[in-house]
Amino acid sequence: MSLLTVEGLGKSYTADKQILKNINFEIKAGEFVSIIGPSGAGKSTMLRCINRMVEFNEGNILFNQQDVGSLNKKGLRKLRTNIGMVFQHYNLVPRLTVIENVLHGRFGYKTTFQGLLGRYTEEEKERAFYLLEKLGIHEHAYKRCDQLSGGQQQRVGICRALIQEPKLVLCDEPIASLDPNSSKIIMDHLKSISTEMGITCLVNLHQVEVAQHYSDRIIGLNNGEIVFNGTAYELTQEKINHIYGTKTKDLIIA
Amino acid sequence: MEATYIKRKKDGRIHIMSGNKGDIVLKWTIIILAILTVVAFLFFNYAGLELGSAIRETAYNLKVMFLEPTLNHFDLGEAFYQIGITLGLAFLATIIGAVIAFFLSLMTAANLAPVWVSRTVRVFVAIIRAVPTVLWVLIFAIAAGLGSEAAILGMLFHSIAYLVKAFSEAFEEVDKGIFEALRSTGANWWHIVKSGVLPSTFTYLLSWTFLRFEINFGVAVAMGAAAGAGGIGFELFMASSFYFDLREVGFITYSILIIAFLLEVISTRLKKRYFPATTTK
Ligand SMILES: Nc1ncnc2c1ncn2[C@@H]1O[C@H](COP(=O)(O)OP(=O)(O)OP(=O)(O)O)[C@@H](O)[C@H]1O
Ligand SMILES: [Mg+2]
Repeated sequence: MSLLTVEGLGKSYTADKQILKNINFEIKAGEFVSIIGPSGAGKSTMLRCINRMVEFNEGNILFNQQDVGSLNKKGLRKLRTNIGMVFQHYNLVPRLTVIENVLHGRFGYKTTFQGLLGRYTEEEKERAFYLLEKLGIHEHAYKRCDQLSGGQQQRVGICRALIQEPKLVLCDEPIASLDPNSSKIIMDHLKSISTEMGITCLVNLHQVEVAQHYSDRIIGLNNGEIVFNGTAYELTQEKINHIYGTKTKDLIIA
Repeated sequence: MEATYIKRKKDGRIHIMSGNKGDIVLKWTIIILAILTVVAFLFFNYAGLELGSAIRETAYNLKVMFLEPTLNHFDLGEAFYQIGITLGLAFLATIIGAVIAFFLSLMTAANLAPVWVSRTVRVFVAIIRAVPTVLWVLIFAIAAGLGSEAAILGMLFHSIAYLVKAFSEAFEEVDKGIFEALRSTGANWWHIVKSGVLPSTFTYLLSWTFLRFEINFGVAVAMGAAAGAGGIGFELFMASSFYFDLREVGFITYSILIIAFLLEVISTRLKKRYFPATTTK
């Protein structure tokens, strides 16, 4: 069953430049899919079209049999509760504690009043601690987020996405600011989210090897077009060159 | 081979400033002001001025004022009470102003409000700020009559304008990513303000408000005299213009100085703590 269907998606910020051109793909529930491609290819833009953080111009996006493009404000909030998001720069509120930041993930379910008073149910708090423990950062629950390392902050970001009880998690370069060790921890957690919790993951990545190692499927984007869509085994060196428009080996040597 | 985008002076040395018009205008403004200042002294009317006795008498007055301060027309308790009134005037104007300014600046910050709302409020606030506080007090005096009401309203008005600018700039500094992350969880505007914007800017808002309180204290002293708002400023006015009691003027000046000094110390501490990078002023 496909969770997400993208048909003929097109996006341009300015009239003179088309950022995304006729994008078509499908993602099944529980899949772990990576999107790779050179800088400026439109990876971040494509990801943000899915939860309408960016408004797209053409095409259709169906999420869970729901037409994303035609949702009103209320429907959009509802949609976003079902889609978690993880960012390169974590995007936590640095002066608040870890647990507060995690609970921000519940805002989509709250009225304005409940949100203003910071009212969370006991179950929500229990769930927050459960997730923190699962990601191994429960001992930092009452620390301010700016006292945490990058890897720890990213795990808080993942908890914030998971407490939404999402069907899909969008990750925009979740490991681009991390060292190899923390990167591995984060990617392992993301992978286990999809295998254990059955949550679909769509991850923008810059590291081809990482994408090959973790993904069920890889989508290659170049200049706003999908130029590859297949498994890690199908992603040959030739295909990689095609996605990046150069030889990656040359890049490393140069 | 010479890259054309390196800017050089006539003698071939390389410019490091972009050499825009603003710098040139600033330079000439300073030069012209300096010349005007010197010229002005040449044109003063010096008739009837005996510099020697003028300096001597001023020195004597200052000596009486500052070396022999006493209270003649009211006692120490009354002095504290009057200082309290002045602080109260400043406090009221600042607190009410800060609350109103908070909501107005939510409508002014470019990342929180639609462009047209933000522009409209910005223009209004700029106009209010362009008129000095004293003038606002006098304008309100037309409606409310001279007194503490007019003083508070006038100070309030100007405080709002000042704080809206400061607050909205603080709001605009909030990391875009925080907005993005909260919006992506399905949070609405109020949620974002409460959980993203407020925690990130609260200490700034607090120290700006305190800085304004410090300014308002000074203004409240002046208003006590000018607008008859009462407080220590009014006593100062009575002592100097009504009783011609230099000793009392001295005493009052000292007490204002002490309060102002205390406020300054606190605000410097606040600034050091919360704006370590920008210790200007
Ligand atoms: N808000 C915006 N307004 C105008 N143009 C934009 C905006 N955001 C992105 N772009 C443009 O869209 C193109 C694609 O940007 P995008 O961020 O989606 O690329 P990316 O593949 O994520 O790149 P990177 O790997 O560097 O993150 C770029 O050319 C960029 O300049
Ligand atoms: Mg990107």
